[in-house]
Amino acid sequence: MIEVKGLTKYYGQLAAIEDVSFSVSKGQILGFLGPNGAGKTTTMRILTGFSPPTRGTAVVAGYDIAANPVEVKRRVGYLPESVPLYGEMLVSKFLAYVAAVKGVGRGRRRSEVGRVIERCGLADVERRVCSNLSKGYRQRVGLAQALIGDPPVLILDEPTVGLDPRQIIEIRQVIKELGEDHTVLLSTHILPEVAMVCERVLIINQGHVVAEDTMANLARGTARSLEEVFIEAVAKDAATDNVKENDTPAAAGGAL
Amino acid sequence: MRNTWAVCKREFASYFVTPVGYVVVGIFAAISGLAFCASFMFYADVSLNPSMYAYSSVPDFEETLLGPFLTFCGTLVVFIGPLVTMRLLAEERNRGTMELLLTHPLRDREIIFGKYLASLGMLFVMMLVVGVDLVVMSWYVQVEPAVLVFGLITVFLMGAAFFSLGLFVSSVTSNQVTAGTLTFGVWFILYIIGTFAENLAESNPAPEAWGEGVRKMAGFFYGLFRGFLQQLPIDSHARDMAQGIVQPEDIVYYVLFGAFFLFLTFRSLESRKWRA
Repeated sequence: MIEVKGLTKYYGQLAAIEDVSFSVSKGQILGFLGPNGAGKTTTMRILTGFSPPTRGTAVVAGYDIAANPVEVKRRVGYLPESVPLYGEMLVSKFLAYVAAVKGVGRGRRRSEVGRVIERCGLADVERRVCSNLSKGYRQRVGLAQALIGDPPVLILDEPTVGLDPRQIIEIRQVIKELGEDHTVLLSTHILPEVAMVCERVLIINQGHVVAEDTMANLARGTARSLEEVFIEAVAKDAATDNVKENDTPAAAGGAL
Repeated sequence: MRNTWAVCKREFASYFVTPVGYVVVGIFAAISGLAFCASFMFYADVSLNPSMYAYSSVPDFEETLLGPFLTFCGTLVVFIGPLVTMRLLAEERNRGTMELLLTHPLRDREIIFGKYLASLGMLFVMMLVVGVDLVVMSWYVQVEPAVLVFGLITVFLMGAAFFSLGLFVSSVTSNQVTAGTLTFGVWFILYIIGTFAENLAESNPAPEAWGEGVRKMAGFFYGLFRGFLQQLPIDSHARDMAQGIVQPEDIVYYVLFGAFFLFLTFRSLESRKWRA
């Protein structure tokens, strides 16, 4: 469903991600894990067509992101990290607008908006303007707009940030349910979340993939926690970087 | 088309769920109304006593009142225009909603035309305000319909051309104040250049000492340059048209002006694909 090959993105001289490759099959929930600034958001922005990669390709839902951006966007529901909303709009109006631009037919728009409102528990705030919502509700409106049109692929950038514990549990439950018939790519830096929600994990650090496996394999045998796996992977990455730096100090200096 | 309409509807509605729309239309109604009253009263005075104002007979209504009033309305639209256009794309960028706009299945042209149409919607509302003035006027005076229609078209074309400039400026910045100031500044600079060009001598300024051929060439380029500068102010083509004297080149001027800046807006939005 998502096929990423050698994705690289430079911001000026700075490499945000370098040679990232992975794939997510249909109906899988992939946890995208990494410290802040590792390149999670950059990767997601490329996959959703918000910013182009410097190099590399990605195929989402059967369409190349560079050749067919609109077809990709039709099949992807995206929750951006900062959850931008049109502050002056009513929640229901905003969702109706999103339904319109996502090509939901006029006749089905009302029922589609009703569906996501129920799914994300927004019935109480339907008639409020977006700028007056609490962080938790903003996050849910963001998720609701991603779900409109029932896209087969969901890309959720830190969906549980800023929520209270009860909301976190609710949202995780929603995501888990969605994972049954959607392909979900979910980024987070909260380790237990990955353990609870995802089937596979991809750990990314300083722009490279440092580990990728199923949850079961990562923790197998050694009874290690995900935390240990994560710290080890990141530490190993840092060590190889140091070696590289010693070999070619001039080349690696810029990247660090 | 459906997507363009959806973008347009949201944009237009947002003018009227925030104070912007009311302020813009209100100010426009107040100023154009005052101007209309003043010129109407002045015309009434003149027509009662033409000799006092150095007219030999009652002056032509279209030429003395209607034309200048409509040109003034066009200028007023241009004055207030930056308030309408500055938010179009700059606000999306500033609020981060650009990320939604660009990850929803919308083509660039749907975004740009949707936004542009919404701003033209505001222009249409302003025209309705002028329409009220004109309806009131038609109770008292018989006006040539052609003058009225072309006058209104002039104001609309002028505004539409200028709004495309505003849309372009809004696409290059994320700050609304910058966008508004820049749009207004560009208009004012064009206006000043045009006024300056009006004062340039018509005759060839090349000195006699230059050879015949060189002089002719210099004169040719001077004429071209002078003509170009004179065309820059956005109201330069409005005056005749507002009196019902329509020349195709005037209409073409506004259409090209608008198309040029819409084209630049496309390129500006597209630049995200190769910048950064």
